[in-house]
Amino acid sequence: MLLPPTNAKIVARRAEIVAALREIVPDGVVADESGLATFDSDALSAYHQMPLVCVLPSNRQQVSEILKYAQAEGIPIVPRGSGTSLSGGALPREDGILIGMGRMKRILEIDYENGCVVVEPGVTNLNITKAVEANGFYYAPDPSSQVACSIGGNVAENSGGLHCLKYGLTTNNLLGVTFVLPGGEIVTIGGKCGAQGGLDLLGLITGSEGLLGVVVEVVVKILRKPPVTRTLMASFDTVTEAGACVAAVIADGVVPAAMEFMDGRAAEAIESYNQPGYPLGSAAILIIDADGVEADVSHAIARVTEIVTQCGGKAVEATDEKQRARIWSGRKAAFAAMGKLAPDMICMDGTIPRHALPFVLDEMAKLSEKYELGFCNVFHAGDGNLHPLIIFDIMKPGEFERAEAFGADILRLCVKVGGVLSGEHGVGVEKRDLMTDMFTPEELALQGRVKCAFDVQGLFNPGKVFPTLSACVEQGHIHVHGAQLPHPHLPRF
Amino acid sequence: MEKIASEAQAVEFVRAASEARAPFEIVAGGTRRQVGKPMADLPRLDVSGLSGIVKYEPAELIITAAPSTPLTEITSVLAEKGQRLGFDPADWSRLLGSNGVATLGGAASADASGSGRLRHGAARDSLLAFRGVNGQGEAFRGGAKVVKNVTGFDLPKLVCGAYGSLCVLTELTFRVFPKPPLAVTLCLADVEPEVGFAALRKIALSALEPAGLAYLPATMMPGVGQGAALIKLEGARQPLEEKIALAHGLLGQAVQRIEDDPFPAIASGEKFADLPGHVWRVMVAPADAPRVAKELKAQHWLGDWAGGLIWLAAAPADASRVRAIAAGARGQAMLLRGSPDARAALGLYAAQAPALITLSRAVKAAFDPLGLFNPGRL
Repeated sequence: MLLPPTNAKIVARRAEIVAALREIVPDGVVADESGLATFDSDALSAYHQMPLVCVLPSNRQQVSEILKYAQAEGIPIVPRGSGTSLSGGALPREDGILIGMGRMKRILEIDYENGCVVVEPGVTNLNITKAVEANGFYYAPDPSSQVACSIGGNVAENSGGLHCLKYGLTTNNLLGVTFVLPGGEIVTIGGKCGAQGGLDLLGLITGSEGLLGVVVEVVVKILRKPPVTRTLMASFDTVTEAGACVAAVIADGVVPAAMEFMDGRAAEAIESYNQPGYPLGSAAILIIDADGVEADVSHAIARVTEIVTQCGGKAVEATDEKQRARIWSGRKAAFAAMGKLAPDMICMDGTIPRHALPFVLDEMAKLSEKYELGFCNVFHAGDGNLHPLIIFDIMKPGEFERAEAFGADILRLCVKVGGVLSGEHGVGVEKRDLMTDMFTPEELALQGRVKCAFDVQGLFNPGKVFPTLSACVEQGHIHVHGAQLPHPHLPRF
Repeated sequence: MEKIASEAQAVEFVRAASEARAPFEIVAGGTRRQVGKPMADLPRLDVSGLSGIVKYEPAELIITAAPSTPLTEITSVLAEKGQRLGFDPADWSRLLGSNGVATLGGAASADASGSGRLRHGAARDSLLAFRGVNGQGEAFRGGAKVVKNVTGFDLPKLVCGAYGSLCVLTELTFRVFPKPPLAVTLCLADVEPEVGFAALRKIALSALEPAGLAYLPATMMPGVGQGAALIKLEGARQPLEEKIALAHGLLGQAVQRIEDDPFPAIASGEKFADLPGHVWRVMVAPADAPRVAKELKAQHWLGDWAGGLIWLAAAPADASRVRAIAAGARGQAMLLRGSPDARAALGLYAAQAPALITLSRAVKAAFDPLGLFNPGRL
């Protein structure tokens, strides 16, 4: 992985930069080696890099001052939430300030009347739900890392989760943000009224992977907990049958709250990890949630049970809340459980059209033979979001490289069938070099210009998401002197 | 006026326009031309030929169509398979006095979301992908035809509500959903705004997944005493009966059912079509609706989205007062209908903070550096 070259001049000024940051955040600068080691990677742990310095602001004014300083001095910034990104979005730079938002974790307001909560970015996803659940509410997006991941990080990555099939991603549950632009200016976009009065910059910022600025406040919708939730577990003798069942359920018009797929290998690993009660010996298992009012849920469960049977599967319903929780705790621990199977693994994250599921599952099995590496599949089947886990041993020469090549081929396969490189983990450094497989040079240049609209100096999270770093000045150059655009002096907008 | 019927023609047209540095207005069905700041008398690009469903995949829950496909065509094709668009598009043509045909691309470009926004989200929440031509005459795509995607910037969000200022759209892919077989509207009659909105919020914050929640004062709905809170619920027969019973429980009483769905006429704004003056859409936090409605002092008004959207007709002289009240409530007042002079002076929305104006201009320039598309409209 090639990252933009380190600026040695900045590295040489480290002591001075640390001192300047201490002026801004006296109690929140980490500069010693052992302290910095905590921040040297995110959850994509194959990549490590010590940051130049890490600063932990505790309010928005400090964030603004830090960004103002960094821009004046031309120092790169890498924003970080809880560091749970699976795509290397928060991978530090040797010549960059890592700005960690973990100390800004106050819940500022719970507004039941308007069904929303105002929080600082460091509040964890689960803590939003915890703050409102006694009153029967919850925050819908539920990434598996919800115990640890922060809402600011969720905004940066447009996080999904198990239940976004019905309730949408972060972007669909967000009403507003307060955002600090690269120059330090603080802007508020949207709010409780859910309207912005202009271009949908909120939509653009969501999922921008720390390339545009830093979120310092978030307004999210909360929903009433559905009165009834029931869970089905369906087992199949072949992976293809399970894939066909997923497509059949969606086509039938049922919208389950969640529909998760895991292959036999994953199910067995999870079963031995925390014993959720998964049937052993099946080739694939689906976990399906239906929620809503009693009659809606009964109808959905009955219909899904019929479809499972028609597809050659066997459906069992969780008998009580305890069993339901156990079934889901297994799914949420899939990553940890797989970790027991092999010394190392990487988790991929493509999305495909649902009808392509059986084909893609077959092709992945062939790739596994080609690269002589094991893998298993755990994914959000309802929305076609695959999470193949590739198992390897980093100590064996060449295995990491083979695993990466295997993963890249899976993602290319996703793109080939009309899908995308990332459904919810983000591009980060992990999939950056595959962006050219999905987008044309013109499309990438356009997205690059959108970045420049926010970050003229290109200081925000350089080396992430986009494969080639072209300076904004250069982009402007293309605007003005490109063959199609010979009129540099026209007034704009 | 030039007429195009393909993406290749759009590319050719934009390249020529950029060579000649000739800005132009993009027109499809033309029903929303009178929304936003009036533009100078510019050449028009007629994109109505970019029409028709490209691919409808009911099992994938997505539909891809050319932008000028009439909304009615989309709705009826989806209904044949028991589905509906991911958002509830609003057709404002009667309000705006247009004989044109409301299109999918027009509804997306105006982010024109009807009463169902409460439950289903806005156009921006269900536009998965689009194709378009940027200001350099390059065809490009944004998003992808899958329901979950975080690869690169979320450009589909940007084109919704951009009023054609970023690109010439050539194709749109929307999420679709199963359409519940039945719908019913409950009417809590003879309640003043405070009581009516409180009832609506109670339903909005329940698990009943209501498809519409509006309050109409007597001036907008004769025969309901002081005013009515309208609650639209959907579902198959049995779940629907269960939801009605639950709603009655939440309201503390059984209320009458209305046979005809009143919501289409609410979302289209047609109740204001024959009233003089400006027509505003004021978006506020729902709990502020009773207070804001009182402050607005309008004779003709109604509250949709459980109070999150207040429609009103107001005299032109009231414009700055309406804007000030919206700003005081941290809301947005959109001037949906007004004379060209009023729209020029007031804009579609109040001016944003300077930093946001700068950002929006820079984003616009990223797509359209020469300012060719619908200049000055937003």
